Amino acid sequence: MSVLLEGVSKHLGARGKKKQVLHDLSLVVERGEVFGFLGPNGAGKSTTIKLLLNFIRPDSGRITVLGRRVGAEEFRDRIGYLPEFPFFYDHLTARETLLLSGRLSGVSEPTLGERIPLLLERMNLAEAANQRVKGFSKGMKQRLGVANALVHDPEVLIFDEPMSGMDPLGRHLIKTIMMELRGLGKTIFFSSHILSDIEALCDRIGVIHKGRLLYAGGLQEFLQGTHDLEARFVAAINEADHAHAA
Amino acid sequence: MHTLRSLYHLTLSTCLEGIRHKALWAIVCLAMLLTLGNLAVTLLFTWDLGKVSIEFGLSAVAFTGLLVVFFLGMKMLADDLERSRIYLLLSRPISIWQYLLGKFLGLALILLTATVILGVSAAVSMQYVLWSYPAFVPPHFSWLTYVMALFSQWLGLVMVLAVSVFCFSFASQPFVALLLTACTYLAGQNMELLRRVVLENAYAGVLSGRESLVIGLSWIFPNLSLFDKKYAAAYGLAFSGQELLLLTGYALSYSLLLLWLAAFLFKRKELA
Repeated sequence: MSVLLEGVSKHLGARGKKKQVLHDLSLVVERGEVFGFLGPNGAGKSTTIKLLLNFIRPDSGRITVLGRRVGAEEFRDRIGYLPEFPFFYDHLTARETLLLSGRLSGVSEPTLGERIPLLLERMNLAEAANQRVKGFSKGMKQRLGVANALVHDPEVLIFDEPMSGMDPLGRHLIKTIMMELRGLGKTIFFSSHILSDIEALCDRIGVIHKGRLLYAGGLQEFLQGTHDLEARFVAAINEADHAHAA
Repeated sequence: MHTLRSLYHLTLSTCLEGIRHKALWAIVCLAMLLTLGNLAVTLLFTWDLGKVSIEFGLSAVAFTGLLVVFFLGMKMLADDLERSRIYLLLSRPISIWQYLLGKFLGLALILLTATVILGVSAAVSMQYVLWSYPAFVPPHFSWLTYVMALFSQWLGLVMVLAVSVFCFSFASQPFVALLLTACTYLAGQNMELLRRVVLENAYAGVLSGRESLVIGLSWIFPNLSLFDKKYAAAYGLAFSGQELLLLTGYALSYSLLLLWLAAFLFKRKELA
């Protein structure tokens, strides 16, 4: 398996005002799978991703990526990460940004020399290759973020809201790239609250609400014969809220 | 090997980002104006023009260096956290100490660049004053001492930079880190004086009899007054290579110790 979370709990916040944001979360993402992590705002999607990358540490539970224990063993050269709001060094150019990331991931100079122009071309950023990132639009930054996640040809991709703030053309581009990556056998773990993206791309989904995993499994099983993911998702959230209130 | 390569690339990118930053050039322009102001200020004096010019030139370099540490260096570090840029780096196989050391070395290089530009600029104005008023050239003035004083000032600034990285590693807000660094700088500038007052003076007020406390504090705070060689440069006083070597050793060991502590504290920080 590519990603494993076992009984993960997490509190966040200032001392004395800590709030539990994840409750005993267990999740498996198999190799070569596109896994959509679905949930309303504040459900715990980004927190889960930050735990996977060891930016924050779990209070309890176990997390492994590609069989390596997060926080104890190195695995980051084999994953590509796209944050929800990718921020770059304003005064570096797009090419320099990708060079830095590739070099830090241990990619050789000749490989980077070949790969970076191709990636920039694929992301429609070839003309902006030598422009400083400061002048980029949000969509351009998001596309650069995707290129940045792919520059070292990782096995596992972790995308936090990859289509956030993109225009329809940009969203279409990212979706197409994610489908290509699936064809190449890459594992993709991505969070989103845009249901149409989840429907179009995922093999399996996980639904999280208020830090609790409500569902993990195949998309068709979740739909339970209906064709309306939105209605099914809203029903699942409402059921959880009612169960919690009761 | 990969560790050193990563460190090199982090250093280089930090330096490049800082050098291209408008703030750095604004500070350098300001300092060049200050250095040119050296000519105007020096001419207000009727004697010791050479000494005034040298002290003013070196003070301008030190002042600008502090601006670089406080307003460029700390801003770059704060932006990494506040704008989540740190994710860009820490999602790569680099450790916290590599990140902090890379940032520190990159910023130290920016400081060196600014010191060299300003040092040359100050030297031009000083040369003009010394050439125009040969009667006021300090008897043992040497350009070598001036360069050594400049290097020594840079070492002092590097220590302040290390303090800023250390404060940044545990402070909850960048403003708190800035405040703590500024306080440490002020304490560091006056620690030697305080130590001497307490140890050599039986009437040291509330600190009388608390020599061990003051000695302890003098080991904690950086002794920045040691790096202030303006007086030596202006009066052409002896300033040996051995002393400079000791200062370099002190600055490096103090900075590395602080960076080690910073890495330890930063590891415990949650990048939520």
